[in-house]
Amino acid sequence: MALLELKKVKKIYRQGKIEVPALRGIDLTVEQGEFTTIFGPSGSGKTTLLNMIGCLDTPSDGEVKLNGDEVSKLSPKQLAMVRRYNIGFIFQAYNLIPVLTAYENVEFAIRLIHLSKDGEIRKKVLKMLEEVGLKGLENRRPNELSGGEKQRVAIARALIKEPKIVLADEPTANLDSETGAEVIKIMVKMNQELKTTFIFSTHDPLIMKYAKRLINLKDGMISADERRG
Amino acid sequence: MFIFKLGLKNLTRQKRRNILIIFVIAFAFFGYLMMDSLMNGMEEMSFDNIKNYDTGNIQIVNPAYWEDREDLPLENLINLNQEIIEIIQETEGVLGVSPELRFKANLNNGIDETAVIGLGISFEQYNQVFATKNYIVEGSMFTSGELKAVIGVSLADLMDLKVDDYITLLVRTKDDTFNTIDVEISGLVRAPNPMINNGIVFVPLELAQQALNVDNGVSLLALKTIPGEEDAIIKRLKSSFQNKNFNLKPYSWKESASSVIALSAAKKGGIGTVLLVVLLIGMLGIINNVILSALERTEEIGMMKALGMRGWEIVFVFMIEATGIGILGGLAGCLLGYIGVSWLVKYGFSIGYISGGDASGYGIPILDRIYGIWNYPSFTFLFILGIIIAVLSSILPSYWAAKKDPVKAIYHR
Repeated sequence: MALLELKKVKKIYRQGKIEVPALRGIDLTVEQGEFTTIFGPSGSGKTTLLNMIGCLDTPSDGEVKLNGDEVSKLSPKQLAMVRRYNIGFIFQAYNLIPVLTAYENVEFAIRLIHLSKDGEIRKKVLKMLEEVGLKGLENRRPNELSGGEKQRVAIARALIKEPKIVLADEPTANLDSETGAEVIKIMVKMNQELKTTFIFSTHDPLIMKYAKRLINLKDGMISADERRG
Repeated sequence: MFIFKLGLKNLTRQKRRNILIIFVIAFAFFGYLMMDSLMNGMEEMSFDNIKNYDTGNIQIVNPAYWEDREDLPLENLINLNQEIIEIIQETEGVLGVSPELRFKANLNNGIDETAVIGLGISFEQYNQVFATKNYIVEGSMFTSGELKAVIGVSLADLMDLKVDDYITLLVRTKDDTFNTIDVEISGLVRAPNPMINNGIVFVPLELAQQALNVDNGVSLLALKTIPGEEDAIIKRLKSSFQNKNFNLKPYSWKESASSVIALSAAKKGGIGTVLLVVLLIGMLGIINNVILSALERTEEIGMMKALGMRGWEIVFVFMIEATGIGILGGLAGCLLGYIGVSWLVKYGFSIGYISGGDASGYGIPILDRIYGIWNYPSFTFLFILGIIIAVLSSILPSYWAAKKDPVKAIYHR
């Protein structure tokens, strides 16, 4: 059974009386542990597709299945629960909470799922921060961290709850190429070690270089789907 | 618990704005507490001044006299006898009895004349009930049998009189003929109740009775009682008068001070309005803060939703923050209020700018300064109410923040 399955997914936005189709019937299957990149020009529907996969939005038509369960017809509350336990997000602008330290920003995600005891949470968060190369920076607030360090915190936050999928929307867009490469390497390492599925929406050729699957989106449709080694 | 911690940590964001709102709430609380203290102080002082210098705790009169008492008639007086005095004095809770004969008079200093109220009193008994003697600022009180009078300093100023001067009181007797009372001023009084100072002339009771031709008649008997027991004592007195078939009725000081009590009721309405304004200020501050915070943190709300936070959890984060502001504002307000009320209790509030410090023209029997009083329940009430209002007023804007569409919130830029 595929981890993620999209069948004839359409998304139409309405602007007054005008209907703007963002996705025109996407069929896509993603297996556990894939490192996939969705790319394409601006307005091709990359972010919309990522939102459908991330259960942030529901399709106008078609169905989205996660782990075999249909999620496209769920209520907002049910979708929130699906996101809470199954999906990690990495944003272009990091979206860290400025009043929390690096440790607390990561802790925040795991506290929501109420699975572990305090001692275990501490161990887990510290280990995850070490994995992403932030050992010793646990008590720094976002304004005391560089762009690359912030994105590492965001990666740790996305991975700490061991989600089935991590969705990353332009994760390197705000980073210089050297820092961007370091961040990508961390994600590649996590993908290999934890077998977490990563799906990127990006223009960054570096991410595309590391991706094992490249999906080209054009005018709301998949125009190419290439798997590598 | 983590959400609670996040809500508290959020208090450290937008420090300047939060401090401003805390300051506004604190200032509103401070204003209310000061006004509450001052108004309650004014009420207590007014009531004390009425009881201690005008009516006593209870007045006993002929019911027919009570109807016309404002006109100071010489009809329907009490024919004073020892039996009446003994019955009253033996009543449990009564500490003193002072017979008074109140009458209209014109005071003449030999040149000018002014209308005054004459008050025939028995000095010893009067002192058992009233505290006026403590405020003789010049000369002394008279004793029985002396042809002397005590007047207020304001009246003395008005008529250019001083101790040892002679005055003439022109009166109408019970039989409607004119008579005069010629007396020497033995003392000047400046009592906290300005009405005493402005237009009352104290003369010995026997002298007044003789001049007015009322035999043993007195207008009323003023009683000093154990404070707060007036109603019970009135019951006992009524029962005693009924048993003896005396045509007398006891009235509480409250019935003589109805205008001041009405003013006090209006004051409560005024304080209520101030409270409403204070709470409205707090509410607007909190609502404004939550809305601004939600707008500034739109992406963060989107991230929280992406992490799977439910609506109520996001509402809770904002409510904790709003409640924190309410608590800090309330604490600061109570602290400021404590300092302000301490000052009011110690130094009072000068009313010197009102008719030379005499508020009696406004129906408030207070002279010079109004002192505040401590009303601790007000502090607790306002603090708790402030927190409740902070919580309640944050619900709707927090809910509005939590209802944001996650996609629009994340990508709102």
